[in-house]
Amino acid sequence: MLAITNAHILTISHGEIENGTILIDEGKIAQVGTNVIVPEDADIMDVKGAYVMPGLIDAHTAVGLKEEGMRWEGDDRNENTRSPIMPHLSALDGFNPEDEAIYDAMENGITTVLSAPGTANVIGGQAAIFKMQERATADDLFQGIAGMQAALGQDPKGAWREMKKMPSTRMGTAYVLREALYKAKDYLGKLERSQANPDKAPERDLQSEALVKVLKGELPLFVHAHRADDIMTAIRIAKEFGLRLVLTTATEAHKLAKTIKEEGMPVILGPISAARMSVETAGRTIRTPALLHEAGVKFALTTNHPETPLLTLTMQAGLAVRGGLCPQEALKAITLYPAEILGVADRVGSIEVGKDADLAIWDGHPLKVRSNVLATFVKGELVFHLDCHCCCEQ
Amino acid sequence: MLAIKDGKLYTISHGIIDAGTILISDKKIVAVGTNVDIPADAKVIDARGKYVTPGIIDAHAHVSIWEEGQGWEGIDVNETTNPVTAGIRAIDGIDPHEMGLRDAYQNGITCIWCAPGSANVIGGEGVTMRTYGESVDDMIMLSPSGIKAATGENPKGAYGSRNQMPKTRMGVAALLRETLVKAQNYQLKVEKAGGDPEKKPPRDLGLENMVRVLKGELPLRVHCHRADDAMTAIRVAKEFSIKITIEHATEGYKIAQELAEHGVPIIVGPSLTSRSKVEVRDRSLSTPAICAAAGVKVALMTDHPIIPVWYLPICAGLAVKHGLEEEVAMRAITLTAAEICGVADRVGSLEVGKEADVVVWDGHPFEYTTHVDYTIINGTIVYQRQ
Repeated sequence: MLAITNAHILTISHGEIENGTILIDEGKIAQVGTNVIVPEDADIMDVKGAYVMPGLIDAHTAVGLKEEGMRWEGDDRNENTRSPIMPHLSALDGFNPEDEAIYDAMENGITTVLSAPGTANVIGGQAAIFKMQERATADDLFQGIAGMQAALGQDPKGAWREMKKMPSTRMGTAYVLREALYKAKDYLGKLERSQANPDKAPERDLQSEALVKVLKGELPLFVHAHRADDIMTAIRIAKEFGLRLVLTTATEAHKLAKTIKEEGMPVILGPISAARMSVETAGRTIRTPALLHEAGVKFALTTNHPETPLLTLTMQAGLAVRGGLCPQEALKAITLYPAEILGVADRVGSIEVGKDADLAIWDGHPLKVRSNVLATFVKGELVFHLDCHCCCEQ
Repeated sequence: MLAIKDGKLYTISHGIIDAGTILISDKKIVAVGTNVDIPADAKVIDARGKYVTPGIIDAHAHVSIWEEGQGWEGIDVNETTNPVTAGIRAIDGIDPHEMGLRDAYQNGITCIWCAPGSANVIGGEGVTMRTYGESVDDMIMLSPSGIKAATGENPKGAYGSRNQMPKTRMGVAALLRETLVKAQNYQLKVEKAGGDPEKKPPRDLGLENMVRVLKGELPLRVHCHRADDAMTAIRVAKEFSIKITIEHATEGYKIAQELAEHGVPIIVGPSLTSRSKVEVRDRSLSTPAICAAAGVKVALMTDHPIIPVWYLPICAGLAVKHGLEEEVAMRAITLTAAEICGVADRVGSLEVGKEADVVVWDGHPFEYTTHVDYTIINGTIVYQRQ
C-alpha cells in the first residue's frame, strides 16, 4: 500500500481537494480525500502540496506504430497495398513496446494512449488502447480494441490515386466504405440465417467478421476527417448503417458544432495547433475546442502523435484555454473525456475509488509551460520520477 | 506619438522595468523608463498588469516561402533542381499576405529570418524581414541576410535518391568545398581583371554571393542536426576562414565545448517535433541550456511550418523548463536573434533610438494561455486583440 499525502488533488470528476491523501492498494485507488486513515504498514509519499491528477490520456496516436527516430523501417501505420479496406488489421500486431515515445509518455504524465492505424486506407484497421509502462511485449501493455479506424478526404484518395486505383475522389472514398459495410451486412445476415442450419454458414471472411462488430455497435467507427464536408459524409454513412461514430482529427468540427451535437457524436480533436501543412488543414484554429464546448459537444484533445509529439498533450489543453475554453474543461479533455470516448472510464480518467492508480504528480499547475512532472504512476507502479529533492527522495 | 504606459517592460538590454513607459515617435522608441512625460496629444495604451517586450524574432523560419494550407502550389522552399543554388533569393518566394505571416504578427512575432530550405547543399540567400507589410519590399530589413547551406540527411536524401551527387555526407562536404574554391577562383579573376571589362569573367550571381561569404560579409548558415555534421561545417569554415552559424544544432549538447571554442552561434529548433527522422533521434530539450552554459551564443527557431511560427515563445518557455535561464531565453528570441540576423542595431530590445517593434501581452509571453493585446511594428499598431 502507498499513501500519497499533502496533495493538491485535481480529481477531474469531483473538483479539487487541497491537502488530500490518495491511498493506493494493489494498483487501484482505494481511498481519496482529506480524512483518509492511512494504515500503519503503508508507504508514505509526502508530495508537499504538489498537484496530483489522473494520468493523461491521448485518445489518438501512432505510438508504437510509427516509431521515433526512424523512417520507413519503423513506420507500420499504413498497409495501403492490396485494398483500401483493411478492417482485420490490428494495431496490436504493429506495436513496438520499445518506441521512444513510450518513455516520453511516462516523463510527461501520459499513462494511456490509443494507437491507431494510419489514414492512407479508407478502413485502416483496429485501434488499440495501451498503458504506458516499460514492458517487454505489446501484449503486456494492451488494454483492448477501442474502435475501427477509417479515413476520409485527402489521405486515402491521395494514397490510392498515386497507384491509379479507387478511391481517387471523395465520391470513391464514400463508395468503397459503403460497399464494405454492405458486404459485411450480407455476411451478418447469412450468419444469422445459418444459426438454425450450420451447413448454410458463409465461408469465414476475416474482413467482414471485423466489420460485423462495427455494424452490431460492439466497436465504434473512428473516422478521420479534417474538412466539414468530410465530417458530414461520415455522419451520413454512420446514420445509414446505424453505426456508433467517433470523429477523429475533426479540424473543421467547429463549422458543424450544432449538427455534431444533435447527432450525439463525440470528437477526438487535434492537434489543434500544428501548422496547416496541407490544403485540408487550412481551417485549423485553436478556437475549435471552445466552440465545440459552447455547442455542448463532448470532445477529447489529442496530439495525433507523431503529427505533434506526445509531450504537447498538455500544450494542446493550454492552447485550447488560449482559444477560449475554461481550464477545467481543458483538463477533462485530456483525462476523463478521452476515457469516456474510448470506453474505459470505469478504469481510468479521474481520481476516484476503484479506478486504476494512474497518476501524474506536478510541481506546478499542469497547464503552465514550465511545470514539471515529478512522478508518474501506472496501476500503482512508479514508472517515472524526476531527480528532485521534494517528493521522490523518499 | 504613441505611449505604452505602466507596463512590466522586458527591455532585454537593460533588465526589467516595473511600471515603465515607452514613448514612440516617428517609428522610433524615443523614451523608456519610469519617469517619462507623455505628451498630451499622444495615443496612450494602458499596460498596467501587462508584459511589454520587444517584437519577437524567429531566427530561422520558412513562413510564406512555404505557404500553409496548400500543396505544391504554395511550396517554394526548395529549388531541388541543382544541389548548389547560391544565387536564388528568398525574397522572390514570399507572399506578404500569407496566413503564416498573419499568425506571426498577431502572436507577437514581428521579424523573421526567412530562408530557402535544406534540400540543397547551398540553398541561396536568406532575408531578415518584418512579418507585416503590403509588399515584400516594404518588409525587408536586410537582404541578402546570410547564405543558407545544408548537411546531413536532407541533401543526400534529395539527390542520392536520383543517383546524383551528393549521395553521402562525404559528397555533401565535397560540394561545399568545390563551391567555395570556385568562388575563390572567381574572386581572383575579378581582382586580376581590375577595371578591364574584357578580362572580367562572365557574371555569376551564385559565385558573387559565395565571394561575399569568403570575404566575411555574409555568414554561411549551415543546417546541421547531428554533431558530426556540425563538426564538418566547422572544419570547412576553418579551411576557408568563413563565418558560419549552426542551424538546428539538435545534437549541440554533444559538442557544446567545441561550439564555444570556435565561437559558432547556434539557432536551436524546432524543439516541438517528434523524432521524425534518424538524424533527430537524439534531440533534447536541454540543448539550449547546455550550450548556453558552455558559452555558446544561442537563438531559437520554429523552422515554420515544421512547427508554427507562433510557438516560438512557448519554445523559449520549454527551454527554461529544461534549464535555460529565463533572461537568456528571452534574449534568444529577441536581441540574440537580431544579432545573428544582422539587425541588432535596429530591433531586438526596448532602447531609445531603436525601431519601434513592441508587443503588449496579457501574461508572461512564454505561457500557453497568454494572449497578445497589441503588436506594434515600426511604430504602427498592426494588431489589437478584440
